[in-house]
Amino acid sequence: MAKTYDYLFKLLLIGDSGVGKTCVLFRFSEDAFNTTFISTIGIDFKIRTIDLDNKKVKLQIWDTAGQERFRTITTAYYRGAMGIMLVYDVNNERSFENIKNWIRNIEENASADVEKMLLGNKCDLADRRQVSKQRGEQLAVEYGIKFMETSAKASINVEEAFYTLARDIKAKTEKKLKEASNPTKSGGHALRAPEISRKPPVWLARCSIL
Amino acid sequence: MFEPTEQGKDISIHSGVVLRGANTREDDVHSTGTLSIVEYTFGKCLEWKPTEVSVVSESQDQDPEWSLVNTHTRTRTVSEGTDSLGRSRTVRILLCDLKSFRINRSGQQLTLMLKDGTNYVVYFQLFNADSFVSSLKGFLKFIKSRKDRNMYIVMEAEDSVLEKSFAELDLFQENASDYVWKFVKNLHDRPYETTMEACSKLTDILLHKEPTRPVEEAVADLLNRSLTLDIPQPTILNVAGEEYEVIGEPGVSVVLPPRPPCPRGAPLTQEQWERCKDTDGRITNSEALKEMIFRGGISPTLRYEVWKYLLNYYPWEATNAERIELKNKKTEEYFAMKLQWKTMTPEQETRFSDFRDRKSLIEKDVNRTDRTHPYYHGDNNDHLVQLYDILMTYVMYNFDLGYVQGMSDLLSPILCLMDSEVEAFWCFVGFMNKVSTNFEMDQEGMKLQLSQLHSLVVLTDPQLAQYLDRHESGNMFFCFRWLLVLFKREFNANDILMLWEILWTDLPCKNFLLLVCVAVLDTEKNVLMENRYGFTEILKHINDLSLRIELPWTLSKAEGIYHQLMAVAGLLPDHIRVIIGLEPQLKTAIIDSEEENATAEPQLDVNDSRPSHSTGSGNVIFGNNEVSFERGINLSYM
Repeated sequence: MAKTYDYLFKLLLIGDSGVGKTCVLFRFSEDAFNTTFISTIGIDFKIRTIDLDNKKVKLQIWDTAGQERFRTITTAYYRGAMGIMLVYDVNNERSFENIKNWIRNIEENASADVEKMLLGNKCDLADRRQVSKQRGEQLAVEYGIKFMETSAKASINVEEAFYTLARDIKAKTEKKLKEASNPTKSGGHALRAPEISRKPPVWLARCSIL
Repeated sequence: MFEPTEQGKDISIHSGVVLRGANTREDDVHSTGTLSIVEYTFGKCLEWKPTEVSVVSESQDQDPEWSLVNTHTRTRTVSEGTDSLGRSRTVRILLCDLKSFRINRSGQQLTLMLKDGTNYVVYFQLFNADSFVSSLKGFLKFIKSRKDRNMYIVMEAEDSVLEKSFAELDLFQENASDYVWKFVKNLHDRPYETTMEACSKLTDILLHKEPTRPVEEAVADLLNRSLTLDIPQPTILNVAGEEYEVIGEPGVSVVLPPRPPCPRGAPLTQEQWERCKDTDGRITNSEALKEMIFRGGISPTLRYEVWKYLLNYYPWEATNAERIELKNKKTEEYFAMKLQWKTMTPEQETRFSDFRDRKSLIEKDVNRTDRTHPYYHGDNNDHLVQLYDILMTYVMYNFDLGYVQGMSDLLSPILCLMDSEVEAFWCFVGFMNKVSTNFEMDQEGMKLQLSQLHSLVVLTDPQLAQYLDRHESGNMFFCFRWLLVLFKREFNANDILMLWEILWTDLPCKNFLLLVCVAVLDTEKNVLMENRYGFTEILKHINDLSLRIELPWTLSKAEGIYHQLMAVAGLLPDHIRVIIGLEPQLKTAIIDSEEENATAEPQLDVNDSRPSHSTGSGNVIFGNNEVSFERGINLSYM
């Protein structure tokens, strides 16, 4: 049976409690918004497969609890993430200020070359805004990452944000593969987080000579 | 991606079928539809379609689960069967994504388990799940689970080839995993002969057969599987910062007797309750009462009264008069604390960031706590204000702990039941006194419970413990939500009341909650292991159990596990005794000798697993635990 995807990317949503991480994910995975949400306890993930340049890209997107004291648990799941969405709420100054702490968190727990992107969520609520778009852009420039303002509720830029991040990861991965001059027939397999080695143990080679 | 641009070919159609994704509230209206096997060019799918477009009238905004969930299905082009948001309600599951499925006894429910750990439950109105499964036979190769006769494991293309090459090897009188186990055991006991024997068979294949798959790969797979499933290894775990202790090697570890049946009882009735009161209103026999509550919970109408005792708001021995006095005193105390934050001016707040942070967290969480429950439903609901006020007052009561996510989940059922701000507050205080370590900054309480849970699994089910360890799940983080909010997210509004009141009796032992966890894991063990779920799928499967765990059955099982442990209490290692509230025995002779036996082993097998003659590249790697497998093999060449 044919493989159902070419690439599998693990993505992560992080940011302060209540900035709308789960809603952003729900908008992307189900194309819906629900105001009666519940806070995320622990960690969970959703999956959506998208088409990128005729490749099936399966996105496994992890959603984490925002409160600081649960970081011991949530950071355990950073490992193997290839892309991270840093989310703040444009109506909440504090969540924006905390982005720098989240960046530090990434540096401590995720792999060094993880693709990052900054999202200012809830941009549909114009009258309550505390963080201007310029400040968001500026911060993103400082960290050398991409930036978008999104609204999970009004369905603004959510789709675009994930596609952008996925495209960047794909480009990076394909470049790496090329550099390693190690072309694989089914990219998906090689790109998955390292699992059990498929290489036959060396002893087996000896066995077959018997 | 599965948005079909083509017309699929219906191969088999079953009508009168209800499909639910994970986490669907059971009070949701079901709509029926048809379940078909449809062939597309990209593969065969299970396809569920709602029968009527009219069923969409139930508010879709409140009902995300219906959008189902199969995130691949985003067919906006399909006009029939779309909901108010224009999302397709058709669900397609590629047959090749299916890992296993299970039919319940009555033939009404079919649970589909996908490779990524996602679950769907299909309800057959005509109780004909069996006939659907028969029609699957033509399109999917699956076998009955050995351990659970209602469960079927789908054989992947890869697997079937492997099975075939096994058959060609003619190695199996028994089934595959038994054989592997025997092979590995023999390898251990008689390394030279076993290796030669196996190798000669491999050579046979290489020379005389043409397997469809490289033998190396098949054998590597075979060995990998044997490693992930069956090799007993002494387990090392760090119990709350104590010395490393080695336990659980089969043969050395404690063997538990069979699990006794523990039937549940009837809920405590008004009559039984009144009989325990003396003329002044004292509760005379609280221990007997707790016993009854443990056995069957409390009648719903009586909860309002009994919870105040269980949560230490009222002392059991208080008279009617004393309780009235206490209530007045506590009411005053509550409003005094409430006034403290109510009178905080905006200017003060600007200079009080710790307070502001707590307040903003509460605001966010109150608005997303149990909003589908009728008591908290709708905008401008007064009960939300009470929820907020109680949590804010709790911040003043215990500012150091403050507010932590999860607390609103614990308060919500209490407020709903008490329907009184003051009483709910003090009962909440009582609850928090029991579980506050879950919420402390350093999370030590959570870490301790997770490690204790692991220890219990190691003792009660070494095979499962090993499986979890080998799949990077030995930290038990996938049970975090269960423990943090005491299963609040896993049971419906009624069941959670009963589970909590049972836990509050502190019967039959300390940390009974952990035994409840062990019981649920015991129920799920087959699914986890036979589907060969890895790190992510284990988490997904456990998360998706939400609202699908059967409470009475789980409680019986948990109590049964308790009795199993007690039957061998004298043999239990101290760190287990401490978990269930027994006095440590402080190094008896038996335990000493056990430790000596066990500590010698892991130095070879686990800790320093790279022998000097290691070939390096051929290691089989399992996440963090690198297990060098070639040692045994290489020895056979020495």
